[in-house]
Amino acid sequence: MQSKLEKVVAGLKTGPRFLKELREFDNLVKAIGECKSKAEEDRVISQELELLKQRLSDPKLDKSRGKEYMIRLIYCEILGHDASFAYIKALQFASDPNIHTKKAAYLALTQFLDYNDNLVLLLVNTLLLDMKSDNYLIVCTALVAATRLIGADLVNAVYPVVVERLRHPKEHVRKKAVMALHWFGQLDPRRDGPLAGVELDKHFRTMLCDKDPSVMSASLCALHDSIKVDPRPYKNLIPSFTSILKQVSEHRLPKSYDYHRFPAPFIQIKLLKILAALGAGDRAASENMAAVLHQTLRRASTSHTIGSAIIYECVRTITTIYPNPQLLAAAAESIATFLRSPSHNLRYVGIDALAGITALNPAAAAEHQVAVLDCLEDPDDTLKLKTLELLYKMTKANNIQVIVDKMMGFLSSCTDEHIRKDIVRKVCDLAERYAPSPAWFVTTISEVFRLAGEHVDEADAHRLVRLIAEQDASLHASAVEAYLELLDGENVISSGAEAVTATASGTVTTTPRLSRKKLPETILLVICWVLGEFGHLARRPAQAVLARLVGILHVHKAASDRLRGCLLTALAKLAAHTGGATGPVGQTLIQPHDGVAGSAAGGAAGQDAADLVHKCLNSQSLELQQRAHELQALLRCAPPVLAAAMPVDASCEEFSPQDLAAVAALPFLEGHVARALAGGAAPYLPPEARGGRTGDGGSKGLRFAAYEPAPYAIPLAAASTSYAATGAYDSRSGSITGASGTGLAAGVAAAAAVVPSASSTTEPQLMVKPAGGRKWGPAQYETDYGASASSSQTAPLAAAMGPPPPAAAAAPRSVGAHHSRSGSSASLTGQTPSERERFAASLFGGGGSASTTTAVRPTAAAQLPAGQRQLNGSAIATATRPASSYAVPTPNPMDLLLDLDVPPPPQQQRPAGPAAVASSHGASQPAGNWMDSMMAAPAGPMSSAAPLGGVGQVGGSAPSGGSFLGPGVSNGGMMYGIQASRPPLQQQPGGMGIAMPAPMGGMLSSLQQPHLVQASGFGGEMGMGMAGGPAGYGAAAPPVQPQAWQQQQMASGMAAPIWPQQQQQQRRQQQQQQQAGRSADPFGDLLS
Amino acid sequence: MIKFLLMVNKQGQTRLAKYFAEYLSTDERRALEGEVVRKCLSRTDKQCSFYEHRQYKIVYRRYASLFFMVGVDDEENELAVLEFIHCFVEVLDKHFGQVCELDIMNEPEMVHYILDEMLVNGQIVDTNKANILEPVQLLEHATA
Repeated sequence: MQSKLEKVVAGLKTGPRFLKELREFDNLVKAIGECKSKAEEDRVISQELELLKQRLSDPKLDKSRGKEYMIRLIYCEILGHDASFAYIKALQFASDPNIHTKKAAYLALTQFLDYNDNLVLLLVNTLLLDMKSDNYLIVCTALVAATRLIGADLVNAVYPVVVERLRHPKEHVRKKAVMALHWFGQLDPRRDGPLAGVELDKHFRTMLCDKDPSVMSASLCALHDSIKVDPRPYKNLIPSFTSILKQVSEHRLPKSYDYHRFPAPFIQIKLLKILAALGAGDRAASENMAAVLHQTLRRASTSHTIGSAIIYECVRTITTIYPNPQLLAAAAESIATFLRSPSHNLRYVGIDALAGITALNPAAAAEHQVAVLDCLEDPDDTLKLKTLELLYKMTKANNIQVIVDKMMGFLSSCTDEHIRKDIVRKVCDLAERYAPSPAWFVTTISEVFRLAGEHVDEADAHRLVRLIAEQDASLHASAVEAYLELLDGENVISSGAEAVTATASGTVTTTPRLSRKKLPETILLVICWVLGEFGHLARRPAQAVLARLVGILHVHKAASDRLRGCLLTALAKLAAHTGGATGPVGQTLIQPHDGVAGSAAGGAAGQDAADLVHKCLNSQSLELQQRAHELQALLRCAPPVLAAAMPVDASCEEFSPQDLAAVAALPFLEGHVARALAGGAAPYLPPEARGGRTGDGGSKGLRFAAYEPAPYAIPLAAASTSYAATGAYDSRSGSITGASGTGLAAGVAAAAAVVPSASSTTEPQLMVKPAGGRKWGPAQYETDYGASASSSQTAPLAAAMGPPPPAAAAAPRSVGAHHSRSGSSASLTGQTPSERERFAASLFGGGGSASTTTAVRPTAAAQLPAGQRQLNGSAIATATRPASSYAVPTPNPMDLLLDLDVPPPPQQQRPAGPAAVASSHGASQPAGNWMDSMMAAPAGPMSSAAPLGGVGQVGGSAPSGGSFLGPGVSNGGMMYGIQASRPPLQQQPGGMGIAMPAPMGGMLSSLQQPHLVQASGFGGEMGMGMAGGPAGYGAAAPPVQPQAWQQQQMASGMAAPIWPQQQQQQRRQQQQQQQAGRSADPFGDLLS
Repeated sequence: MIKFLLMVNKQGQTRLAKYFAEYLSTDERRALEGEVVRKCLSRTDKQCSFYEHRQYKIVYRRYASLFFMVGVDDEENELAVLEFIHCFVEVLDKHFGQVCELDIMNEPEMVHYILDEMLVNGQIVDTNKANILEPVQLLEHATA
């Protein structure tokens, strides 16, 4: 201010011109401040730039006003205008002796330039001089500029000077020097570039012991980044870090470091981050830091946001390092405060922290289900998104449908492209991992395509096509129907009427607003392929399918050649499958294009189709021409030829290794190769040989492990080349074989088949139809499903179980059940539990609602030492848990019963009425209670010492938590016993169905246990539903992972059955109640 | 780490912008700032002070007519950043005395210098007010 005043005085002395110039800055600020619109602002800045150009190019430039010019330039750049004309001037001002001008010039340069800019070269000398300045302010300025402007190629020029500054007496300089070195380290994080051999870390370690806390805190930043790259060399620093953290949290730093009475919170947070990086996956290290973490957590309070920030960081550290039960317990306790807080910010971090804890202790989320639901329904998008992330992390096979539903809901309302992309990725990932049925997968992915097709990876489309191809006719038919309806919807909209769309099983209700969007091309390609391949299965006549296919072009007038080609191939296939040239479609397609509409049974659509073919015959695109000609030629061929060229449902045909080997040899190319060799071309070298050669000759710096061929690369390449070879061969010889043709649709199919399958073999074979088992998704997911080794006999066994119901029947069960449930229970009981509670139940697999949780929880919780309660799921749990309580990680008995295929002994279901239940419980228990006992069942084996024991033993030793728990426990023990006595169950999901009823029935009848009879009933029904699923898929329906079981067991204090089962139970219960002529409230005990 | 810091008034006019290890062209910055500011201004008090934008998480805080927006990466502690903004404002307040938008417009370089003391390479290096203001005040007293 003072200097300004002096300037004004000086201005008054020198006269009006100077005064006018002096006011330029103030005028600029005023003008910018008064701007009402962006356009006005732009105009002001443009004028200013003109003025500055004029002033700066003036040879009589007033150097004393350099600072002002620099700031005006900064303004121009900040407001989005290019001021590059002045960069050179800024460089000149940087060497100005006036510290104000110099600092402003450096500031301008750091704002304008980045370290890649060539102009920086001109600055290096000035920078070096300034770093050696006597004035520590100048040194600091130069060092800060170095953190922004020095690139990898200049590091070595300034490095020695910067290191020297580490010993500067002024702590500000040391601090800045450390940060400059930090920047250099970031330029070369692996220390293999310009900083190779430089002992950067040694300096950081030294500076960690600096007597000034601010220098220490700077070196923490630097060390943190190095530790993130590779924590191993820094393990010996753990004692230093813990001791610093201890001292900081004990308030040993000067008061001036306090922030709202919290001792140096930002240093604490940085230290916590460092400890997290050091302790991750390192048990010994984690144990060393446990005490100090506990102390930090305890000392921070939520009285101020910064305290919450420290707690949040503590929780993040605790969940990152090797899990420690006590710490996890304390962390869970702390975040409870966050989640209960009215502040959105605290709830946001609470959800985030909860996601971390849930990863280690799945029970944690269930405790806070109400809070989580609140956040999910919050109008705040950020919070919702964060909650969806939490849900994404806790998704299991049992709650995927609800969670994906929620995500789709968000997707349909979200407009941010990045978030949409992220959600699409998550949905695809989840669907791939946990899809309960192929029908569901197909519906979901198609829905994703519809909602946000532009974000879906084409690989997902291939996976979808492949999955559809692998399924049986019923799914094909339902896919065809679903896609026809999608096209219907699009067509209707295009003609301006109200949209009526629905997907096969109604996962997501389609709103007219959203379906107004045109379908993206990727899904259209899929639709073309599906309708071409399976269009003959449609319920409507082939003509109508043809009309829909051709109708695509009415909506998408600018369809790409790729889509048109696909469409042509689809038409050809459709014609071939519906009677060839003499069929209705065939007739339409090959009729001469004479402009006479409706000569065949075609009508307008037929005419359109004929038009399309005709246009393509004369298309500029050679591929379209070829396809169109092929189509016509093929349709004119004799039926056997046509059938061979376009066989029905042969997209999944298996090639024998011999076939492939024959093709891979490429005999027809030999002549060409011989000619090329004769012409002097280099002989072909296989990749291995090539690799060896470059390894010898090339520089060793270019060989990285990542470039080694992946295990599946060879078969993949072989398969694709062989496919290409087929195509090439075909087109040469003029006869088209296989399902393919040269069309893209076939390309899609082949590509899909080539996508590395779960059972990626090392032989080049296209095994697209392995019997049973899960067929899509990366291999690692297979383990998630626990037992997946489905033998080839699985499918026949499952098939033998009974007539498979149509896929459509299975689909609503899995997808729509959640929704249908509320309606039925309401009509039955008249007392509807709120939607939220039911949702919570389905989401958290909780026993209905929080009330049930609290009712059942204390019993089981009391049986477990606190430490055990905290540790769950995951490998840690098994490691630390006493062997006696969980000898073997076994799936939840309930899950086993419900997921495996147990055919229902129908006569057993009947006597199992609620009346019988009530009698066994005593008159005081309402009939609905058996459900509680069912839920409590898994708690039995968990809390008992001998989980694998027989019925009596378990029943006897288990603590009974009430009148209903007794039977429940023995019930659980019972199921457990069955399960334990049949270890191979998991390996033979199909065989299970046959083998199971006998022991089941026997035991049941001998025990006279009504609960068990009921349970078996569900198991049976569930088994039916699953096995009835398409193509033996149900047989391989994912058995619940051992992990999930453990998690549930742990979560279950409340003994939570997962939701689909609950619906099964409920449906069954309702049926039985109807049978028994009673209408007890099934939720009576769950939700009261 | 902190990727950028923006000061924007409630009309959406940028008052100060500082980027860390995030080199964008003028046009890219302009586009990014436009999107970030638009999103931020559309948020209400009932929403939390964080939102995601592109690869950034934006933490913002409002002081009278001025918004402070900080773009951070995934691993930053949002609450801490929120408090850092407040700490920064406290320092500004101590320096300018009842800091207002006009102060920042009139002396943007001082704001930058203060920020340079607190944030280097996108890392919070110092929050000790005495440490931060010492060189800044020294500079003020240096003869022009």
